[in-house]
Amino acid sequence: MKGTYLGEFEELVLLSVGILIDDAYGLSILNALEKQTGRTIMISSVHKTLVRLEEKGYLRSFMGGATTTRGGRDKRLYQLTRAGIKVLNHSRELRNDMWKQVPSVIWEGAK
Amino acid sequence: MLPPRLAVRMLRAFCNKHLSEAILGDLTELYEHRRTHMSKRRADALFYFNVLQFLQPFAVREKKIFMQSNPYAMLQNYFKVGVRNMNRHKMYTAITIGGFALGLATCLMIFLFISDELSYDKHYANGDRLYRLYNHYNNGDGDKWMSTPASVAGILREEFPEVEKAARLIPYKWYNGGNNLLRKDDGLENTFEEGFAYADPDLLDVLEIPMVYGNHQQALDKAHTVVISRRISEKYYGKEDPTGKVLVLNDDKANAYVIGGVFENFPRHSHLDYDFLLTLTGVEFWPGEQTSWCCWNYDNYVRLRADANVPDLEKKLLSIRDKYQVPYLNETGDATSADVKKYHLYQFQKVANVHLNPENVSDNFSHGDTRYLWLFGGVACFILALACVNFINLSTARSANRAKEVGLRKVVGSGRCMVMRQFLSESLMYSYVSFAFALIITVLALPYFNSLAGKSLSLPWSAPWFLPAILLSAFVIGILAGLYPSFYLSSFQPIQVLRGTLSRGTKSSTLRSAMVVFQFTTSIILIIGTLVISRQIDFIMHSKVGFEKDQVLMIQGANTLGSSQEAFKAELQKLSDVEDVTITNYLPVSGTNRDQNGTWLDGRSKIDKAVGAQHWYADEDYLKTMGMKLIDGRNFIPTLASDSQSVIVNQSLAKELGLKKPVGEKIMTWETFTIIGVVEDFHYENMKGVIRPLFLSKGSGGSIACVKGKSDKMQSLIASSQGVWNKFMPHQPFRYTFMSDNFARMYEDVQRTGRIFFTFASLAVIVACLGLFALSAFMIEQRTKEISVRLVLGASANSILRLLGQNFVKLIALSFVIAVPIGRYMMNLWLQEYTYKIPLTWDVFVVAGLLALAVAVLTISYQSIRAARTNPANGLRTE
Repeated sequence: MKGTYLGEFEELVLLSVGILIDDAYGLSILNALEKQTGRTIMISSVHKTLVRLEEKGYLRSFMGGATTTRGGRDKRLYQLTRAGIKVLNHSRELRNDMWKQVPSVIWEGAK
Repeated sequence: MLPPRLAVRMLRAFCNKHLSEAILGDLTELYEHRRTHMSKRRADALFYFNVLQFLQPFAVREKKIFMQSNPYAMLQNYFKVGVRNMNRHKMYTAITIGGFALGLATCLMIFLFISDELSYDKHYANGDRLYRLYNHYNNGDGDKWMSTPASVAGILREEFPEVEKAARLIPYKWYNGGNNLLRKDDGLENTFEEGFAYADPDLLDVLEIPMVYGNHQQALDKAHTVVISRRISEKYYGKEDPTGKVLVLNDDKANAYVIGGVFENFPRHSHLDYDFLLTLTGVEFWPGEQTSWCCWNYDNYVRLRADANVPDLEKKLLSIRDKYQVPYLNETGDATSADVKKYHLYQFQKVANVHLNPENVSDNFSHGDTRYLWLFGGVACFILALACVNFINLSTARSANRAKEVGLRKVVGSGRCMVMRQFLSESLMYSYVSFAFALIITVLALPYFNSLAGKSLSLPWSAPWFLPAILLSAFVIGILAGLYPSFYLSSFQPIQVLRGTLSRGTKSSTLRSAMVVFQFTTSIILIIGTLVISRQIDFIMHSKVGFEKDQVLMIQGANTLGSSQEAFKAELQKLSDVEDVTITNYLPVSGTNRDQNGTWLDGRSKIDKAVGAQHWYADEDYLKTMGMKLIDGRNFIPTLASDSQSVIVNQSLAKELGLKKPVGEKIMTWETFTIIGVVEDFHYENMKGVIRPLFLSKGSGGSIACVKGKSDKMQSLIASSQGVWNKFMPHQPFRYTFMSDNFARMYEDVQRTGRIFFTFASLAVIVACLGLFALSAFMIEQRTKEISVRLVLGASANSILRLLGQNFVKLIALSFVIAVPIGRYMMNLWLQEYTYKIPLTWDVFVVAGLLALAVAVLTISYQSIRAARTNPANGLRTE
């Protein structure tokens, strides 16, 4: 797992894919992220990140999904791969480790 | 609600297949959502904005699905398929390769020619410091010429430190220069030899002439020495060293020459080619000749110091003019001295430039012409372009045959790139095969081309750059020619092909027609060129030259007769088939003497400008033998003593001197003459320029005896003249030429150009016709069903011809219309050089056009007749 540094946005996207389970495609991920983070995100950056993550092997994609009103077009649905799950866990562990090491004094100071 | 179609198309255009549908779906969903609470305008704008956001590499490049493990895997298959294709359509293959090979062979030969012309005089070790001096009269006319007085080389050497060495050469047929009769000191028989010139000892060093025997310093050091070439040395002395032996010229034992050394033959690529260099050491042709500024007969070659600045040096050279030339003119009261001071310049020309002569210095060496180099290079490229056009045309036209293959390949998974690679490799195959054939053709045709161009070229097989250059060019040409067909053929969509709705090559017919037009335009222009040039040559050869050149025998070496010349002449005149005889050195054909002088009206040499005129010596039979017309006054009378100062002028000289009634007037050079007659102007230089002034004064003796025969039976004339010669000079060979041959030689270069144009025109027409042949075959193939039906209904070969021909005739007419103005412009340019030229009449163009049309019709009719003969049942059987 060395050298597989996960960017902040990439991590958010991966988590969204996990949350959205069966309906994770470009637009739905975008809406979820905007709702959760409150930021305005461009749809192209979402797609870009999805492609990059798939290239890294953390996601797998397939065409599917019921066509609603997309001009009859299928969606490209994304799913977490085992590697993706692993890297998310690793990231969480790393964060938690470092959180634990910060002395409680800091937390109290910020209150 | 649909998003704007243009934006959708845009995205589809640049986005890769992996993402395009998904992205479009997302954007459409967004759009529909937006339309619920926004105006159409705003939603559209946002849609466009969104589309543009995806103009990023991640969306544009194809997702790498797999890495090619063996990039060369398919090449084997391409090769196999290509070969099978070639075999299946042998005729088309043969035509394509044939045309290509012809075009390539032409280019190759022209390339050899051009590189040969460019390589003259490039072999000197110190070539960048080697120059020759020339005179430039800078008054707007800008005459440039070589010869200077004898003392100039010495002045250069002594007064200009930038000059490392300076040496003179006399290249004229003057005194012992040119040709002589030669024998060894102890020999009896004389042999006629050519290639004599006078040279300073330093010339051997300046021109870096390699010595076989002897060395530069001593070879020409002493007076009356000569160095001979290797071929002369081997001819007379075999393998031994002839240094120190004595050679006698023209039986003049008192002035014999001692051989000082042997030099290597001048290389083919030198503008000089001599077999004998006679030393100028101790030479003084007449008292005071070496220091006087009267006569200009010497060429000067110099080697400058490495740090010499040529333009600066040229400015300094003006001191020669002011210190020596102008004072001399002032002393002798020459009126031109003021003009000389204003206009006369001395300049240097690099010896490396002499052959192609961009500075345009007049000398008596033959030169190449840069214009012709450009012309031939351009034409060769055009012919190659014609062949490429053939290839492109045929490939795209027959594309329907390959369509199924392309469709199938794409279905099975070939990307467009790979299909393109297949067709490119096929065209590379064609290219390499054509190159091989082109090399064979070149080897076979080179002897003919050499005689055409007057050179001896050969393929430089051993040069290290040759084979790689050939392989590289084959590669480049193959790619270039194959580019468009590959694009076109690889663009077929599988669904169209397999469904059978593919338009059968009709879409590109405009391009194809354009190419046919291009081919025929080039051919017609070349045909026009050929016709015009051959007409001009015809005109020159048969127009009135002012003297009779046919039926005249020129017997060389008459000067050796010595005192028996008159008797010899009388004997010849007694022969029954001889009409007239004259003995002279000066004739209006090439290879005879010339003597340019300044002339003035008597007594006005210090007042007027000199009129340059030729001074020829002739006897009383000259005019009659040469058939020149005396339009005023009288001929020389042999018994009249005062006639020694009499001259006959030509009309041009009378005009230049402003004499309305020349007879009886006096003119002068450095002697005074009285005009006794006027002769009609005759051409004595090649007919490009106007006839220049000339006068004849009485002089007997000369080295050429001109014998005019009564009839055109030259053989018997030769025989009888030879008989007389042998009576007088049993030990001299009887040498003769025909005046008409000498005359023709003056126009050799024009004739050569004409022949080259003819060859080019034929080549272009052949290549164009090959293309037409194949195209018409293809069109017949396309319309097999239609033709079969017509045949069944009773069509004749004629009507089929008309069916096919209609289209092509229109194209050829278009080519004609384009070719005529271009051809006319070019021919006018070429004819401008000639003062006496043919008028450019319309019939030349019509003939050229008709010729092209006729050839095209012939080509098409072969195919039509073949089609008309086929059994219509065959064409309809597949129904």
